[in-house]
Amino acid sequence: MKRRSYGRDAGLTFRMLLTGSLLGLLYVVFAVVLFQVLSVGLVPMIVIVVGIAFFQYFTSDKLALAASGAKVVERDQAPELHDMIERLCAMADLPKPRVAIIDTDVPNAFATGRSPKHAAVAVTRGLWQRLEPQEVEGVLAHELSHVANRDVLIMTVASFFAMLAGLLTRFGLYGGMFGGGGRSRDNNGVPVWLIVLLVSVVTYVLSHILILAISRYREFAADRGSALITGAPEHLMSALQKITSDIFRIPERDLRQVETMNAFFIIPTSVKRGARTLFMTHPPLEKRLEALSEIAREMGRPVA
Amino acid sequence: MGLRDVLLGKKKLAGPARERLFALTTAAVTLDTELGLRSAGAGGIVFKSLSAGEFVRAENDLQQLLDSVATGSGSKLERREDSFGYTWIIVRDPDLEDQVTTIHAVAQGLEEQGFGSQLLAAVFKFDGGKHPVYWIYGYKRGAFWPFVPTGEDQKRDNAEELELKAKLEKELPVEQDLTRWFGVFDAPL
Repeated sequence: MKRRSYGRDAGLTFRMLLTGSLLGLLYVVFAVVLFQVLSVGLVPMIVIVVGIAFFQYFTSDKLALAASGAKVVERDQAPELHDMIERLCAMADLPKPRVAIIDTDVPNAFATGRSPKHAAVAVTRGLWQRLEPQEVEGVLAHELSHVANRDVLIMTVASFFAMLAGLLTRFGLYGGMFGGGGRSRDNNGVPVWLIVLLVSVVTYVLSHILILAISRYREFAADRGSALITGAPEHLMSALQKITSDIFRIPERDLRQVETMNAFFIIPTSVKRGARTLFMTHPPLEKRLEALSEIAREMGRPVA
Repeated sequence: MGLRDVLLGKKKLAGPARERLFALTTAAVTLDTELGLRSAGAGGIVFKSLSAGEFVRAENDLQQLLDSVATGSGSKLERREDSFGYTWIIVRDPDLEDQVTTIHAVAQGLEEQGFGSQLLAAVFKFDGGKHPVYWIYGYKRGAFWPFVPTGEDQKRDNAEELELKAKLEKELPVEQDLTRWFGVFDAPL
């Protein structure tokens, strides 16, 4: 069966394509400049970068789960959560991902895995306990849409050259420090390492901005996917409002209970809100709610 | 922590921040006049109970400390162990200022005996609202946060807590990171 991507939004598709091609263009320019300047070491360099990219790609699910402290739970440990995910997967025509729980009070969730077959969905204890079941469904459907849209793959590919540029920046620095800066194409010219360094830095910065833009578009797409899977965008809307509200940052647990497992405090849960939208991985809440209520109107659902 | 300490990697383990505890006595006026909250006549300090090895020595010292603080302040001191393995020293005194002074003296005494890092929190109870209001002072953080349990299970009145924060944060060092506002359920106050 041919699987269509979830929902259609011409404007969104266009912006994604535009950002994608800008990113591609940037990399072509980057590559051309580099080949002009650097004539050696291309093969080993590519081998390294491709190796790292593959490693990242194949371990992405395990890395993300380990980094967030999520524990994979079997059916008997969280039967209701498993039931809910199974229902949503049936709706979305997806294989069932692994299910993980993060032991914090702040409601949140994420999906990871390079393909639907290797996916995992993690939710925090706070999400499960503090949101209404339909709201949890909305959030889970959003995460499953990420899986269905293959967002880990997209982001790995998109950040491939950013990584290359990052590596070259480092090589450039070492080259400048240890390799003797005197070698240049003509004796009066700028040293090669400096050109490589500058080009790499610029590429790195620009590609990051574009990658974040793509990431935000994927969020909109996943919101849309959630609306279509559950058929009720209003629940995702109220879930988003709850997740971002201050009240749900206040924990439910006892101080004495937490103090005995204080390893938790190593990971900062607060995210700086001050950064401009250009540098955010998620779109601002108002924009997401706006887009969702637009979808709700299209679907003829009640909007609060 | 200055830049130099960052560069040299000299992060010190935070000692207990005792002094800011006194801010509560000035905030008491606002609590009373604006929110109608008055001290319920009890405050407490909670710290991690000692390991078996330290126990005998510390036990004598602690008893001496409590006796001397009790005679000095005239407050009534009680000692309780709770189910989490923490020890409470409860101060019963109608006057909030006396509670704060006594608890400060106990904290100071514990720190002098080398148990400063075991100090967890000081808790003060206020009456006059819909539910009893607790102000918790975290020794690790050197800041207060409000805690309003509704009495059923582990539920808290978050709206009331946020209002308390808004009203009091000008005169009280209130913990700004809401994810650290852990409650102290069933406090023996």
